[in-house]
Amino acid sequence: MGWNAYATSLIAAGTRVMAASIAAAVLAACATPASPPAPAPAPSLTLEQKHQKIRANWTPGGPDFIPADTLTLFPCHSEELPCGSMAAPTVQKVDFKGPVAGDAKKGEAIAINIRYGNCIACHNLPKGHQGGTIGPSLAEYAKRQMPVDYTYQRIWDIRVYNPNAFMPLYGTNAVLTGQEIQDVMAFLELGK
Amino acid sequence: MNAGARILQVCAALLAVVAVPALAQDEYWYTRDNTIVPHVSGDKYFSNTYDDWKDEASIRKARAAGKQSRDVNFKDFRWLEKSFDAMAAVDEGKEVFHRKNGAGQSCASCHGENGDKLKGAYAKLPKYNARVGRVLSAPTQISVCARERLGVEYKENTRPNSVLDMYIATLADGMAVDIDVTTPGPLKDAYEKGKNLYFKRTGHFHFACASCHTGSTTSLYIRGQRPSTFFGDAAHYPIWHFGFALPGDDTASIFTLQHQIKSCQILSRMLPGEEGSPSMTAIEVFLKASANGYKMSIPTVEYNMSTDYLQKQGAQAK
Repeated sequence: MGWNAYATSLIAAGTRVMAASIAAAVLAACATPASPPAPAPAPSLTLEQKHQKIRANWTPGGPDFIPADTLTLFPCHSEELPCGSMAAPTVQKVDFKGPVAGDAKKGEAIAINIRYGNCIACHNLPKGHQGGTIGPSLAEYAKRQMPVDYTYQRIWDIRVYNPNAFMPLYGTNAVLTGQEIQDVMAFLELGK
Repeated sequence: MNAGARILQVCAALLAVVAVPALAQDEYWYTRDNTIVPHVSGDKYFSNTYDDWKDEASIRKARAAGKQSRDVNFKDFRWLEKSFDAMAAVDEGKEVFHRKNGAGQSCASCHGENGDKLKGAYAKLPKYNARVGRVLSAPTQISVCARERLGVEYKENTRPNSVLDMYIATLADGMAVDIDVTTPGPLKDAYEKGKNLYFKRTGHFHFACASCHTGSTTSLYIRGQRPSTFFGDAAHYPIWHFGFALPGDDTASIFTLQHQIKSCQILSRMLPGEEGSPSMTAIEVFLKASANGYKMSIPTVEYNMSTDYLQKQGAQAK
């Protein structure tokens, strides 16, 4: 993506967030007792609380799939449950200054494990890891010399650059911690 | 006009400006804006490979021209080959179909010996059940019928239910799928709901079903797996499946369409739905109606077990 397209998508993302907050504010201000009952409140947890809830009884990268009761923290298909009417997570813009302080060995383990980061599902990775072809090969990603804040944001919440992207929202949805994202970046040879 | 009324008026005006559709809070996969028609030929707006797999003759022609499974939306082995391994499950389903309850009644008492009166019925499921008051998929219909007519519990996701599902589906082998989702009514509503759910981003990864199963990903790799579009495939469910046990699933060798949806949900970190629930049934209606006009192929193999291509590669090497 060129930098012009990048800037346009940034503005588009910002506009979306703004429109959403205006709509929310107007709805809140205009709520009257006569309005229909609101859908069951969905839990609104901070990112840290989400991480705690997810990892309290589950170790990513282990033999088990993520427990189903944890997945009710996010929008779901079941319209019978509160998560069925939960709004999509808000786009998160993060500001990563660097330098990357990560452990490449840990990053490798995260990237190639289906129950952890699972980057390999869509990408070829360094150290000869053959993966999927939905995403571009990252085997020589460091050679592209992309700014570290760009890469960090891409992993954290890709919608800032491309709202239609296939990438999971690793940061926004508490899939990986900031430290784990840096571990993966170190595996991509972005550390100094 | 008092201040309160004035504020209300301003609010109403503002609301009118920012008025959004009921589901605007959901984030949808962008291909939802493509033309989506409840017919198998709708694939032309996605993978645009329909001409190569619209019937057996087309598939054979495409394969003879050197096209691979990925070029024909993976329809070749599902429509050209039948599963021998599944026959044990089909036979077991036939046995359950004729199994008498305490009063000497069985499914066959109403539906005829060897399911004579159920021929082709599976191609028209799911459908609206007026007594229950909602759209039911085949496993839920089996469960309801067994409880009401025979007084036995064949709940969804149990062995007798799944083998019956497989047996009844074989009675519609070769029939074209025909789900009417254009006439206004509960079935059309379920289709629209299922379409929205199919394109809705959900779960830990913020994925939609459509993230993997639309045109732009077809034939690409998700590690070792290669997704197809959502057109036609529902016509070969339930499938005989390798021993791959879902949590709480005791019918690992039979995969109903809702088992398949649940399996995808688990692998992509979405909240797995409950078999037979309205939401899961709605997704099933959407998928089945997207196979409208396509011939059922039951029981079929799950993966391409053919090794012809290895021999071809060997021949080229020589």
